[in-house]
Amino acid sequence: MSMTAAPVDLRKQEQAIARKYAGRLPWEAVLWGLGNLALWLALWPLVFLEIMPLWLAFPIATLNVMLCYLPSHEAQHDIIGRKGTKWRWLNETVGHLSTIPLVLPYRVAKTTHIQHHLHANDPDKDPDYSSMAPGPWAAVWKSIQNRQPGAKGGFNKYGDILRDVGREDLLLDGALFQLAHFGILIALALSGYAIEAALIWWLPRQIGLTYIQFFLSWAPHHPGVGQGRYKDTRAFRSSWGNMGSMGMQYHIVHHLHPYIPLTDTPAAYRDMRPILEKRGCRLENI
Amino acid sequence: MQFVLKNILHFMPLIFGLGFLGPLCAQILSLTGWADMAGISALAIGIAIGGSWGLIAQLRGRWI
Repeated sequence: MSMTAAPVDLRKQEQAIARKYAGRLPWEAVLWGLGNLALWLALWPLVFLEIMPLWLAFPIATLNVMLCYLPSHEAQHDIIGRKGTKWRWLNETVGHLSTIPLVLPYRVAKTTHIQHHLHANDPDKDPDYSSMAPGPWAAVWKSIQNRQPGAKGGFNKYGDILRDVGREDLLLDGALFQLAHFGILIALALSGYAIEAALIWWLPRQIGLTYIQFFLSWAPHHPGVGQGRYKDTRAFRSSWGNMGSMGMQYHIVHHLHPYIPLTDTPAAYRDMRPILEKRGCRLENI
Repeated sequence: MQFVLKNILHFMPLIFGLGFLGPLCAQILSLTGWADMAGISALAIGIAIGGSWGLIAQLRGRWI
């Protein structure tokens, strides 16, 4: 009897902790998402009007792209406002707008991300599995390789997943985003602003994608072998710190309870740690 | 609509090479002053570089 009662008890304790951190509207994510987009958009006139030098706009734009995914990620999990609640419009606004610099449509991101949660580390069904690599430098190289036109992984894999789950309609979102992105870059280049377009959008996006895929896909799931609730991700100590790794040190809490706001996952992890240890989770140096 | 979108995206490496990398190379060459010394227009050199790279990416399915 005690053999089966213990896990049930652990589950109850785990859920009680999770409930403590759930239900809050993360205003910081709203401000982060919309403020980050506003800052990135402001770079264009600031540079074109020669108010800001391009050498300064480039690192800011790179930071903007690196930072733009996570607010949308909160929206993908309905953390800002669930369906039918008064903040739903804000949830969808942040979701749709914040990833514009990354050229990632919200509906595509949400649908594929849910599949990632359902099938994490499944080579066929996890849309992010293609970011797996034996080590950190291999992960960076893999991210670049997955972005090549003929690659089978990365965003190209998202198309396969959308077809598999019967959401082929969302391929149009992806196609229109791509066309708009390339169309704007080409129009700027032909108007004499190629270097500006390259350093405010194209190159920051390449760097940002590498960073996001490294810290949000590769690092928390490495080595990508375990499957199941307590096996498919880990807690780890990053040499970049919690801010530098965008809170991914506590990714295990997110996979177990995706409705907890990102900024609350460190505290939830500290409360939950003894339970996760008993569950045999991978808690590495943290 | 779907056919048009698919084909534009299919040829995007070539379009991107000619339409973006070409002018980008031209602007970088102009900044360095190299094109003026060679006596060839920077845009012609840029489009040759960007177009060739785009064509290679189109055929091989990879930029690097």
